[in-house]
Order: sequence, then structure tokens, then C-alpha cells
Amino acid sequence: MVIGTRLGVMPGALLIGAALVLGQEPTTQPKQTAPRAQTTTSTKNQQSEGERKFLINCGRCHNPPEQVSPRIAGSVIRHMRVRAMLSQEDAREILEYLVP
Amino acid sequence: MSRSLPPPCLQTCIWDVTRAMLLLAIAWLGPQATAQDTPVISGAVGFIAHTNGGTTSLQPVIAPVAVIPIGSRFLVESRADVREVIVPEGGDGTYEGQFYPTLQYLQLDYLVNSKLTITAGRFLTPFQTYNERLTPIWIRNFPDTPLIFPIGTRTAGSSDGGMVRGDLVSKPGWQLNYAAFFSANSSVEQFQAGRATGFRTGVFFPSKRLEMGVSYERFLQDQNSNSAGTYLWWEPWRFPLQVRSEYAHGPEGQGYWIEALYRLSQVGGPDSWIGRLQPGFRMQQFFRTSESPVDFLPARDTYQPDFGLNYFFPYEIRLSASYSRRFTTPVDRNIWNVALTYRFLFPVLRGGRQW
Repeated sequence: MVIGTRLGVMPGALLIGAALVLGQEPTTQPKQTAPRAQTTTSTKNQQSEGERKFLINCGRCHNPPEQVSPRIAGSVIRHMRVRAMLSQEDAREILEYLVP
Repeated sequence: MSRSLPPPCLQTCIWDVTRAMLLLAIAWLGPQATAQDTPVISGAVGFIAHTNGGTTSLQPVIAPVAVIPIGSRFLVESRADVREVIVPEGGDGTYEGQFYPTLQYLQLDYLVNSKLTITAGRFLTPFQTYNERLTPIWIRNFPDTPLIFPIGTRTAGSSDGGMVRGDLVSKPGWQLNYAAFFSANSSVEQFQAGRATGFRTGVFFPSKRLEMGVSYERFLQDQNSNSAGTYLWWEPWRFPLQVRSEYAHGPEGQGYWIEALYRLSQVGGPDSWIGRLQPGFRMQQFFRTSESPVDFLPARDTYQPDFGLNYFFPYEIRLSASYSRRFTTPVDRNIWNVALTYRFLFPVLRGGRQW
């Protein structure tokens, strides 16, 4: 049992150490697959912030869907608010990213 | 026999009602491009070939998710898992199928604010992370659930009762989230659940994409028992790497799993043929401390390395394969899985009708 507990703790300690060393957010965002949202009026900064929030929150569990219709974006965000416990601000920014 | 006409006032009423219904129908079916809260049907269909110790089963699966917003604060959500498990019958090459429909959740959410959502109905038990986040067949990285999955989730993974959850603290550098629940005992088919209470809470650091947390569950029927666990997730910004892990302890035993998957999207981009590959490895161990006839955990101490490979085709199609070697007594065994899934997402109604 002691061995089992140690085996459970050691990877965790290693991971935290690695995360602190390697996990710093880069200034340029990594290229990842994201929904092909249409861009119209939103500024580039708003979009990139929404995209960043989308990748942080949605991409934590699953790959983003290839396409999200504007008609269902509100429903998807509300679903994510419950599932991923999105804050109201994050939800708004992601919605602006999905439906600019 | 002559048929008398209704009086003029009644004719007017009938005409008014008919006209109102027509207007409602036109409004219902007409396009409303600005509405964003159309009810959604999502989920996946899949086919899984599972070989355990030389015995192969074939499983066609459909796992639909329904999301229905009501007004500005309510949400009805539901997910089912409907599968046929086809296994060989006898030794003459014939197969027999068994149908397994499962209602995983059917819940009403009331979104009070960012810090509080109140849920009632049947919901996924918020113990650890795997049950709530990774059980859908189109999300999980390995087709098989971890060995310790039944700890705290009581096999079904669902609870009937109430839950509160939310984002208690939301700072730019860190977020504190929580979920707490109470479940009643139910033996109703498709709504089976145990009497239990518990919580999960975690801290998420968005800038490092690091999350860690703890879970606790108190089982309140038969023998009162405690289960507890901790988890750690990390997805570094610099590499398309996913590291997830859980440790859980229950009256039956304790164990852990840790998985790491690396998508080769840095080689030629995420849409190149090699960039769509995602190899992965998972290590898991379970140590039994007490005998139990039916707890869905391994009967003996077990450790199991899993090797997986995912390929993400366009149009939300994913092919997953995995090989596992289960080391246990009395005999070690090989486990093979091949799964093909297609994820779908579309509105239920035309034109963005809001309920």
C-alpha cells in the first residue's frame, strides 16, 4: 500500500515541477485546430482573446469542433458554462469569438 | 339531416384562433439569424472492437446529447449511451447481441451566476474528473475506462438528486471551481443510483494550463464508506501534450492512472497526415484491500500499461487503437481495442428558434 501511495504521489510531484518550468504561456499562441468562425466586426484582439479562452477551456477536455453554427453558439456556450464552469466573462468572450 | 353552422361569434373566434396559430407556425418555422440559443443535438456514433484475453466483442454505439436552453437562465441537458454488445456464442462461430441502453444524465440547470449553478435530476457524479469530462466515446483518449473508475462513481457514474457547482474564484492567474452533490437511492431502471453525498474542488492555472484538485464521496447506504481522490491535469502551451492523472482511494482498494498523449501537429501542421496522429501511453495500477463480490474493480492487485494511437480524420471522424497488457493473478492477458467514432453537432429546429 505504501508503494502504491508513493507511486501515486511521485508522478504528481514531477508533473507540477515540469509544469512550473515548461508551462509558461508563450507570447505567441500555438497553432491549433479551432472552429472556423466568421470574422466581421470584432477586433483582432477580441478574437484572439476569445480564441485563447476557447482553447484553454474547451480544449482542456476535447478537441474543438470543426465548425459551430452561429445559431447554436449560445446553446453550446451555456452547456459549457455548466460543464466547464466558465465564468460569465469567459463565456461572453468565447461567444464573441464563435459569433463575431 | 342538415348540419347547422356555428353562430357568427363562434366563427370569429375560430378564425382568430386559426390566424394566431398560423402566425405562430410561421414565426416558429421562419429564419431568425440572430438567435443563438437553438436547441442542440450533439454526440457521436461509433463502432468498437474489443478483445480481452482472446475473446472479441463488437459494439455499435450511439451516444446522443441534447441541450435545450429555456429562457435566459435554464438549461435542460441529457445524454444517453445506447449500444449493442455482440459476443461469440459457444465455439461454433456464431455471435449473440445484447442491447444496453443507458441514460447517463437528464438534468435541469439553473444558472444563478458564474459562481453558482443549481442542478436537479440525474447527473454525472462529480467525483474526480474522468466521469464528468472524459467518458464520452468521442472524447476519451483510450477506449477503455481506467481500472479505478468505479471508485467513487459506484459503477453507474450517475446520481439522482441535486448538485451545486460553479467557479467560486475567477482571477486572471487562477480559478477555483467546485461541485457538491447529494444523491438519493433509486432502483428504478435507467435511474439507478446510490444514496451518497460528496464534492470535487480544483484549482486551475490558465497561464500554465495546470489543474489540480481533490474529491470526496460518502456512501450513505448499506455500509457507510468514504472514497477520496486527487487529480492533476497539465497541457503545456509549448507542446500539444496532454497529461492527465488521478489517484483514488476507496473501501475496496486504491490506485492511480496517468496518461500522456502527444499530437504530432508540430510536424507539418495539425492538418497534415502525420499531424493528425496522436500516440499516447497510460499507466495504471490498482491495489485491492478488501474482497467484494461485485464492485467492478479488479479482483486482485493489477497493473496495466496501455499504448494508444489516435488518428483524427477530417469531418470529426476519429480512429483509435490501443493495446494493453494486464498483469494480474491468476493469469496475465492482452487487451486490444479499435474504435471508430463520428461526432455530430447540429441544431434541432430551423432558423434559431429560442425556447
